Amino acid sequence: MEVRSELHLKLDKDEPRRVAEEFEEIAMEHGVPMGIVFKFQLALDELLTNVVSYAFDQSADPVITVVLHFTDAQVTAVIEDNGRPFNPLQDAPAPDLDLSAEDRTVGGLGIHLTKAFVETLDYERKDGWNRLSLVQPLSAHPEEHA
Amino acid sequence: MNVETSVSGTTAVATVSGRVDSANAKDFDQALRAIIDQGVSGLVVDCSGLKYMSSAGLRVLLIAIRKTNAAGGGLALCRVPEHIREVLEVSGFVRLTKVFDTPEDAQASFSG
Repeated sequence: MEVRSELHLKLDKDEPRRVAEEFEEIAMEHGVPMGIVFKFQLALDELLTNVVSYAFDQSADPVITVVLHFTDAQVTAVIEDNGRPFNPLQDAPAPDLDLSAEDRTVGGLGIHLTKAFVETLDYERKDGWNRLSLVQPLSAHPEEHA
Repeated sequence: MNVETSVSGTTAVATVSGRVDSANAKDFDQALRAIIDQGVSGLVVDCSGLKYMSSAGLRVLLIAIRKTNAAGGGLALCRVPEHIREVLEVSGFVRLTKVFDTPEDAQASFSG
């Protein structure tokens, strides 16, 4: 079975949740294991929260799209925006997890979680667009095919 | 998201349910601040009804950990669903706060 869904986002801090919940609904219908549903929607939420929070100036004419694609083998998402160039996979500060609560900052934690929770992440800047792709294989769960 | 609170002297249990993300982390922050501002130094956050939490929720927990540590107590979590526990582990938050099975165990950790 194959499902494809394209979503267009407004520049609004509530939009990542709409995408995360839409993803969750389709993923559950598609039979994606609950652990993957949770981790992948967290990654989507973190990356989109970055985009709606930091990618655009007030004067910009923002375009943000997300394409979700489900097959039997994998779940993918492609996030595209015409905001300022930003590669969260490289440009976000890496958090120091050994610091005390008093010295910790939470900058970079969202990206740290995203990298830990999604198998393959790629960033590309092309013709004025940021393009992030997330790929999570589903075949690593043999019990699903038993 | 909803936060139900039970305060008992200088300790309190905050039972959080639903989703905590960047859209409503501010509400979560205000709820925990309001509890701590009542003179609570030992705060238990019961996560049994928590469906989802992103790094925006971790930021709120970090602030509450600092404030309760500074007050001579601390913050403890209990009844954490498995996928939320993984968020705490990957983010290193298990080193900043203790995770207990029950609210009673978590509260007892402040009276020793």
